[in-house]
Amino acid sequence: MSDYLLQMNGIVKSFGGVKALNGIDIKVRAGECVGLCGENGAGKSTLMKVLSAVYPHGTWEGEILWDGQPLKAQSISETEAAGIVIIHQELTLVPDLSVAENIFMGHELTLPGGRMNYPAMIYRAEALMRELKVPDMNVALPVSQYGGGYQQLVEIAKALNKQARLLILDEPSSALTRSEIEVLLDIIRELKAKGVACVYISHKLDEVAAVCDTISVIRDGKHIATTAMADMDIPKIITQMVGREMSNLYPTEPHTVGDVIFEARHVTCYDVDNPKRKRVDDISFVLRRGEILGIAGLVGAGRTELVSALFGAYPGRYTGEVWLDGKLIDTRTPLKSIRAGLCMVPEDRKRQGIIPDLGVGQNITLAVLDSFAHLTRIDAEAELGSIDKEIARMHLKTASPFLPITSLSGGNQQKAVLAKMLLTQPRVLILDEPTRGVDVGAKYEIYKLMGALAASGVSIIMVSSELAEVLGVSDRVLVIGDGQLRGDFVNQGLTQEQVLAAALSESGDTAHNKNNNDRPGAVGDARQ
Amino acid sequence: MNQLKQLFTRYKMLALVIAIAVIWLFFSWETDGGFLTPRNLSNLLRQMSITGILACGMVLVIISGEIDLSVGSLLGLLGGVAAILDVVYHVPLPLNLCIVAGCGLLIGLANGCMTAYLRIPSFIVGLGGMLAFRGILLGITGGTTIAPVSPELVYIGQGYLPPLVGIVLGVLLFALTLFLTWRQRSNRALHGLAAHSLARDGVRVAAIGAVLAGFVYTLNSYDGIPVPVLLLLVLLGVFSYITTQTVFGRRIYSVGSNMEATRLSGINVQAVKLWIFGIMGVMCALAGLVNTARLAAGSPSAGNMGELDAIAACFIGGTSMRGGSGTVYGALLGALVITSLDNGMSMLDVDSYWQMIVKGSILVLAVWVDVSTRAGRR
Repeated sequence: MSDYLLQMNGIVKSFGGVKALNGIDIKVRAGECVGLCGENGAGKSTLMKVLSAVYPHGTWEGEILWDGQPLKAQSISETEAAGIVIIHQELTLVPDLSVAENIFMGHELTLPGGRMNYPAMIYRAEALMRELKVPDMNVALPVSQYGGGYQQLVEIAKALNKQARLLILDEPSSALTRSEIEVLLDIIRELKAKGVACVYISHKLDEVAAVCDTISVIRDGKHIATTAMADMDIPKIITQMVGREMSNLYPTEPHTVGDVIFEARHVTCYDVDNPKRKRVDDISFVLRRGEILGIAGLVGAGRTELVSALFGAYPGRYTGEVWLDGKLIDTRTPLKSIRAGLCMVPEDRKRQGIIPDLGVGQNITLAVLDSFAHLTRIDAEAELGSIDKEIARMHLKTASPFLPITSLSGGNQQKAVLAKMLLTQPRVLILDEPTRGVDVGAKYEIYKLMGALAASGVSIIMVSSELAEVLGVSDRVLVIGDGQLRGDFVNQGLTQEQVLAAALSESGDTAHNKNNNDRPGAVGDARQ
Repeated sequence: MNQLKQLFTRYKMLALVIAIAVIWLFFSWETDGGFLTPRNLSNLLRQMSITGILACGMVLVIISGEIDLSVGSLLGLLGGVAAILDVVYHVPLPLNLCIVAGCGLLIGLANGCMTAYLRIPSFIVGLGGMLAFRGILLGITGGTTIAPVSPELVYIGQGYLPPLVGIVLGVLLFALTLFLTWRQRSNRALHGLAAHSLARDGVRVAAIGAVLAGFVYTLNSYDGIPVPVLLLLVLLGVFSYITTQTVFGRRIYSVGSNMEATRLSGINVQAVKLWIFGIMGVMCALAGLVNTARLAAGSPSAGNMGELDAIAACFIGGTSMRGGSGTVYGALLGALVITSLDNGMSMLDVDSYWQMIVKGSILVLAVWVDVSTRAGRR
């Protein structure tokens, strides 16, 4: 019998022909905390879904040994029964139920006749909370009465109540404040002392370094290295995480960058649910004519919030100013932004991009329908002419403009959404994750189009989680971390390490790699 | 079976037309032909006009992803107002029409404002309006019937067009069909799209011509085309035009299909919803006027359950429950189904409780058919 609680050996998981995981080995001892690091899309979440049997045994290759015995779980309830509990990035609590009811969700203690045994549940919940060193929590109150940090603790209590022996925490701190994170880390140390093992997945490497005993890095679905934390430091982790060769996927269209035409000043966004928390904290930046500005940062850093606030689409409260051509413009609603010459292709194509019941062509012309109207009637010929032109320009592959848009591939849907926005003839185009869920061919065409647009004088802001993409197409790169501007780099010889280091850096000054004309005095080297 | 299903999925309205034919044949057989006499068909269409007028507005509301439960009560209220203005104050008919339509528009806009801008779910706004409008109606009429209304007003509900006018109308509609078909063909040719086969278009035009001829002939062999049926035909044209040809119409579909994406495309989705409810209010006014005219009196119970008939008509006519798709003519065919059931069962002296059970079952059945044929597409 080995001394490992969990051994995952040679895990391979394919989606279609693509190997999302390609031979991953992870070992966890009882009472050990393993940090799992990797870039966005490296395969961390997939690996945890394999472990927790979201993907049941048989849909992947390799073996999982639990306590030395093969684990062939078919469902989450089987892995939970074994003692493997996963706490997801998004909390899964029911806000209107009490803390105790949430802890016992699905495992309620009952009296004869199926009645809930509230006294027993409250007693046990209070005991759990004492164990977690939060005795002041009233477990009979609704969960919604407590902030994000306490809610995270309720999730942990829920896991402990299921007799968890291995706790998987997926980005547990993304919704927490600094002091709440401290409490969380203390509790993990406490659990370790009790013999509970943890897998800690986080982009925040300082937390990983603070709490983990071992670091496993995965990249592009491959296991890179497993090292004791004592032999590692944050820069070494970053090198392991990035170490990817840049491929020649990014066509370059020669374009010249002109003068500053657009400026965002002091943009601050407040969390929708927790109005005191800042998702974006006082960010200002400029954009030049014909420039492609990449915005990099980790998931949850506040990139989408920033650009949707610029466009007037942020759902919560936000402040800030948007200047175009030296004039303050009103971008409080998408309609006003589009009229002012600013438009956005949103992140979530299905939810925010396409109109599923309309055809391909009708999706494309949606934003500029007025321009085809005589009195009230849409001039079908003019509309179809415009649609045909856009379909040709975007190399959009569709048998007919009258087909439902849902019949197209992701890449072609994205081209249609892009065409819709380009018809408004924007001066500034915001692209939020423009190549998410898009095949390689369509990606290439989207990059080419971006280059052509920039050459014609359109300024582009591109938010992307793929660092290689940001470095491949941008003229300049902004790095956002924790809602703050952490770096403003001219993309010349810029490396992924520099960007990632800036994204992971503690709050403080913004890093630059070049003297920046608009920011006299802000000269400095990129931090390593 | 599968091919049949595919056929119905493609030509959804075909199933509805077949259903109507079956219903008519059944009642005709049960009444020894009494159901299919010109007199009864004329009555049937007149009866249908009120549900039909409401359904024209309701289909827009449902396509946009909302619902309006207050239309029955609003119909009653506005019909009552029309009766009071006519009977008590002797307001001339044109002015009366304007006042009532204006009231309908304002109340509709108020409903829309509460839904779109104050973000009160339309279900609740409708439910509140359903009670409140009925209450106001009871208050202003004192719970009594307001009668007798002037002959001019009665004409709106009970009048008939002279036979010659009916024939001219039929010919004009047929000419319009020919023109639209010809334009569609030339448009498709212009854009290099495969035109429908000549035979298909020929059959289509011939079928429409036959229906129009039958329609005019049948009604003329009684007293002529009833005025409310003419009104309904006009509304069918106007609303079909709005939904298929105008910017506003396109926006109704896109708001109902994906409101967030529509908003991010720079469309004022709140204004779209506001005006949809405004139009619904005007339709309530028209339906109220026709109803008062048909009964020749303003009744405190007028339009009771009218909203349910209108909503059922839309759903039977293939309007999607989650919004985003539906047609005006489908809703009117739905209204024809509902009215045929009402009319036929009344002729057979079926107990009213049975009538309710049958109508309820047909609604559920129709939506089940719709859902099961739709499932394959998504």
